[in-house]
Amino acid sequence: MAEKAILYDSSKCTACRGCQVACKQWWGLPGETTTQRGTYENPPDLSADTWVKIKFKEISNGNGGVEWIFTRRSCMHCTDAACIRVCPTGALYHDPSGVVAYNKDLCSGCGYCVEFCPFDVPRAKGNNLTGIRKIDKCGLCGDRIGNGLTPACVKTCPSGALVFGDQSGLVDVGNKRVQELKSTYPDAYLYGEKELGGLHVMYVLTQTPDVHGLPAHPDVPAAAIATDDILPPLAYALTGLAVVGLGINYLVARANANKEAEAKAKK
Amino acid sequence: MERVQKYTKPARVFHWMHVGAFLLLLITGIILFVPAFGAAAQDSWTRVIHRIGAVIFVLAPLIQIIANRTTAWASVKRAFAWNGDDLKWATAMPRYYFLGDESAMPPQGEMNTGQKLWYTLLLIFGPIFLVTGILMWFFKYSLPSAVFQWSVFVHDVAFILIFLMFLVHIYLGVIHPMMRKHGGSFSSMVDGTVTAEYAKSHHGKWYKEVAKK
Ligand code: HEM
Repeated sequence: MAEKAILYDSSKCTACRGCQVACKQWWGLPGETTTQRGTYENPPDLSADTWVKIKFKEISNGNGGVEWIFTRRSCMHCTDAACIRVCPTGALYHDPSGVVAYNKDLCSGCGYCVEFCPFDVPRAKGNNLTGIRKIDKCGLCGDRIGNGLTPACVKTCPSGALVFGDQSGLVDVGNKRVQELKSTYPDAYLYGEKELGGLHVMYVLTQTPDVHGLPAHPDVPAAAIATDDILPPLAYALTGLAVVGLGINYLVARANANKEAEAKAKK
Repeated sequence: MERVQKYTKPARVFHWMHVGAFLLLLITGIILFVPAFGAAAQDSWTRVIHRIGAVIFVLAPLIQIIANRTTAWASVKRAFAWNGDDLKWATAMPRYYFLGDESAMPPQGEMNTGQKLWYTLLLIFGPIFLVTGILMWFFKYSLPSAVFQWSVFVHDVAFILIFLMFLVHIYLGVIHPMMRKHGGSFSSMVDGTVTAEYAKSHHGKWYKEVAKK
């Protein structure tokens, strides 16, 4: 299966938030009671029950007016995914389409994915004292795309800001769109083509990544590499050495003890 | 065979609580550390056990220390009373553990050099586990992610080192051929006594003190 992706074009997004509703509807996620915070942006953050949301930001347009900047917030489905590295149970894994899929049954609730995600996406729900929790996040509608449908958010998007397709094809579409936008938005950029080995959710940005609230250079945290690539092989090697060393000691010491016992017996 | 009392009953009970908690922490820790066992952690149960184990692991020695302030303090002092004999022990040890040659082993007090080392390591590693564990447990949502990330790393480094030293500890204390020969130290954990022969050879200085009484 070719790798799949979503392309989100912030210049076409009207922030209708239909994607938020479609996601909740398809997955049966409850709505959240929120309070008016003086913005149309709602709910305020991702949660275990909100896997996608549109972030609103106002910036000056340079001639005294304001411009609204919209940015989609959801799992970016990284190729080099920190969450998959640190997940102890294998609950998070890449499926053949490159999507960061999630097997909720296997989740131990450790929340490492929450802490190591460079995009601050997964959310935990449960009891923080006992540690009985489950994580949730977008799985790119794996069940739908497996059956030839598009993800719920893409299906509902009325403005064409979300499209779904083969990753390689969408890179071309995205780059073409960036070229079109350059005259109006000199900072326009296709985010996700190169980041973290290629994201399976790419953004056409009108501004620089930091203006959109995205890390300019997202990285797998060094602690994840140290903990999950360096420590385990080291631990296995040292344990092997210790067992072999102690085993040799046992054999030598036993042979000597037996020799002594024989010598005593002869006397 | 003549036997001498080495540990009191409360000391043994607290020791086994500590051992039990340690084994729970070790096993439930390994489950999170080794991907092949990871599936056992699903639905959080091994992590709940890790937390219960942590509470016992910390409280058992604390209660013991508070209940027996004077003797506990004396044992801490003994553990840190390093002297020239410890150096001799360290140099004579390879011949002893490989060849069974006890001739160069200096007489030892109630705690021999190896036991003092293990005690010291626990006093160093216990707080490392505790601090990083508390950071991951209680400060997950209040401190920057980097604190959590490096806590996992440090917790794991301590885990790897303590696991290796635990192997050596068990091997030398229970499995080594010389331990079997003398009846060994394991009985002191069970009924509190060791054979007089073991006491003489492994804790000569201490045996002299006890024999006087
Ligand atoms: C002293 C008290 C201790 C506390 C409070 C503590 C707490 C924790 C916490 C909170 C976690 C993170 C996972 C979770 O949220 O459940 C953890 C993981 C872990 N603990 Fe402990 N722990 C303690 C002692 C120990 C000891 C003594 C060992 C091993 C000998 C150990 C081995 C591990 C391992 C291997 C992990 C998994 C780390 C990873 O996923 O790479 N812990 N511990």
